Amino acid sequence: MSEYILEMRNISKSFAGVQALKEVSIRCKPGLVYGLVGENGAGKSTLMKILAGAYRADAGEIVYKGAIRDQASTAEIIDSGISIIYQELALVRQMSVAENIFLGREPRNRLGILNLGELYDRAGELLKRLGIRLNLRLPVSELTIAQQQLVEIAKALSQNADLIVMDEPSAILAGSELDQLFRIIESLKLQGVTVIYISHRLEEVFRIADEVTILKDGELVATRPIGELDRATLVEFMVGRPLDEVFPQTEHEQGELVLVAEDVSTDTILAGVSLELYAGEILGIAGMVGSGRTELARALFGADPLTGGSIKLAGGGEARWGSPAQAINAGLALVPEDRKTHGLFTALSVRINVTIPILSSLTRLGVLKRAAEEAVVRGAQERLSIVMSSSDQETQFLSGGNQQKVVLAKWLSTDPAVIILDEPTRGVDVGAKFEIYKLMRQLNDRGIAIVMISSELPEIIGMSDRILVMNDGRIAGELAREEAGEARIIELATMGGSEAALT
Amino acid sequence: MSLAKTYEAPIADKRWKTRKFVADYGVYIALLILLLVGAVLTPKLYSVDTIAVVMRQASQLGIVAIGQTLVLLVAGLDLSVGGIFIMTSVVVAEVGNGRNEMVIPAIATAMALGALVGLGNGLLVTKRRVPPFVATLGMLVLVKGATQAYTRGVPGGFVPDVLGIVNQSWSFLSIPLILWLGLNAIFIFVLRGTSYGRKVYAVGSNIEAARLSGLPVDAIRISVYILGSLFAVASGVVLTGYVLYVDRFIGSGLDLDSIAAAVVGGTAFVGGRGGLLGTIAGVLIIQILSTMVVLLGLDVEVQFIIKGLVILGAVTLYSVANVES
Repeated sequence: MSEYILEMRNISKSFAGVQALKEVSIRCKPGLVYGLVGENGAGKSTLMKILAGAYRADAGEIVYKGAIRDQASTAEIIDSGISIIYQELALVRQMSVAENIFLGREPRNRLGILNLGELYDRAGELLKRLGIRLNLRLPVSELTIAQQQLVEIAKALSQNADLIVMDEPSAILAGSELDQLFRIIESLKLQGVTVIYISHRLEEVFRIADEVTILKDGELVATRPIGELDRATLVEFMVGRPLDEVFPQTEHEQGELVLVAEDVSTDTILAGVSLELYAGEILGIAGMVGSGRTELARALFGADPLTGGSIKLAGGGEARWGSPAQAINAGLALVPEDRKTHGLFTALSVRINVTIPILSSLTRLGVLKRAAEEAVVRGAQERLSIVMSSSDQETQFLSGGNQQKVVLAKWLSTDPAVIILDEPTRGVDVGAKFEIYKLMRQLNDRGIAIVMISSELPEIIGMSDRILVMNDGRIAGELAREEAGEARIIELATMGGSEAALT
Repeated sequence: MSLAKTYEAPIADKRWKTRKFVADYGVYIALLILLLVGAVLTPKLYSVDTIAVVMRQASQLGIVAIGQTLVLLVAGLDLSVGGIFIMTSVVVAEVGNGRNEMVIPAIATAMALGALVGLGNGLLVTKRRVPPFVATLGMLVLVKGATQAYTRGVPGGFVPDVLGIVNQSWSFLSIPLILWLGLNAIFIFVLRGTSYGRKVYAVGSNIEAARLSGLPVDAIRISVYILGSLFAVASGVVLTGYVLYVDRFIGSGLDLDSIAAAVVGGTAFVGGRGGLLGTIAGVLIIQILSTMVVLLGLDVEVQFIIKGLVILGAVTLYSVANVES
């Protein structure tokens, strides 16, 4: 038997003609932690889904525990000792912690009746082994996201996993929770478990990984022991260019006030958010997932009703809007976080997607003016260099970057004064990412104000003129570009509620 | 070795293109094959008389199927059309009551009531968020019940003779056929060439994105349900004119057939995908199959079996073809 528990050799995979992975190989030894890093869309998740049996590779082979693995069902793969913990946790919310851990494999007595005593004993042992303190009888719905993730890890271990894949676990964890996760990973290592840790946060990789594999645009860039890497090299591997070239800068004066939000509250999570937005600036909004960033975007855009406070355009006096339609008329645009469910009509053509908010200006008596419409689409295609076979192409067949450009084109067609970008580069390849940054600066130069929400701190710090950090539905602090560092932002984003209120 | 790898991507691409082709053109190819099979098995299918019958029946189904397609395009479903046929028949007979000059007011009354049913469907689906299946099923029972309560089970009145005009025909061309083709022409244009059509597809394709794009999504969906009911009234009028008496079971089966025709024609249950050309082909496939069963001298039950198989086959094919890329 070889010294590797897992070898994935020359794995290739394409979707509808788009190459997601090209001859990627990784190998893992038992008892080590492997960092798998790369930008969004680099192919990390695709590779892991192939390992999990959710996708079938077009080419290449998987050697696991010394034998070539054929296509297998998810259940067979779990039985073979591979567990994958996805970002979207797969727990049954109404069931207790212990029941979730042994879901489908509950201990039974001879009559096939559930042996609850044994269930709780064994669950308790497991958590003890992991050094986790949790009430076993609590329904999962009562736990925090971080605790739920611990339940997933316990579940993986209960399946006697030899290889655990964690897909961006830190995306939903804050400081001390992350420390706990790392302690658990250390103890897993000691027990001989192999961990593949997917992340695009470099500090974590340096802290936990023994070896790092970098993917970019579906290709393997490098695999290096962590000792041979420093931060700058890793970034350059990931983005393909030195860090200071990634974020285009322009010098400009602060423009006039365009929008003021005062004490905005909603049913969702927002509790008294105030902000001012100036022409030609990028206002970055940072904060953990669930801190109210997306809810703020929706409130500004009239998508969620306000329960308190006001939003005004500086020029137009009182202009409170109750619907996206009114917000659009007032000159706002929202590029939503979840492109596929909120931004794009995936089954419809590029043309329909781009012109949908401005149909009334492209029709006479309700009849579409084809030439005018085609001109709008062609203009957008040139301006944003959208790669498409024709304006009739369905947007589901475009790459993530081009899909995002279509959504941007749609909103630029409305000629907005304020653009809210919620995670503008999520799932976008590096090249398109850079183009989107350039476009944002061009829009700034034309006086358009941009609100940019992002989970990626380098992006927030690199692009924003000012940064608001959100925490628990409030603004925890405002930072000027010069004073913003990752540590300071994380500090503001993860403070307890009472501390946040004091700032 | 390396050669084999280089060709991986194009193969995947080709598979996807085949699927797309099946999804886009499968129904027309199926219709063509059916016509060829018909030429061999039942040459009688190509007589002027048979064509006329097929076309008349296709028109009766086809008109209501236009409305059903529109409703399906906004990710809806309209089961209430069956009730509307009966209501239309009763209203035309009661209001018209054998007087030819009353035929226009009678039809207008049926349309007004039909529009109300559609409005009810639309309000339930949009404002109360009732799933379309349940909302329109409830409306079906309500409309049938109300019609029966009104007639006390014994429909009165007489259908004005002038409505028999729908039986006018020239060779295989008939008034219902002209109506069907005309309405199709209008609504194919509406769907493709007007902003209303765009909005219908957008709402069906992704309602949340449509709302965030500033579209009045509720108004659009309500209007589509009203249109769906009006097409059902139109089918009901044609059916009533065909039999010229009040029939409590008029148009039975056409309600579900209208859904089948649209689905066989490639309009997706999830909305935003499909269109009227496909539905025309779907209507013709269903009607020709039924006719072939009769021409072959098989039992009527066989019709249902074959119809069922065709629907299941079409749905299976589309679901394979539309596997998310």
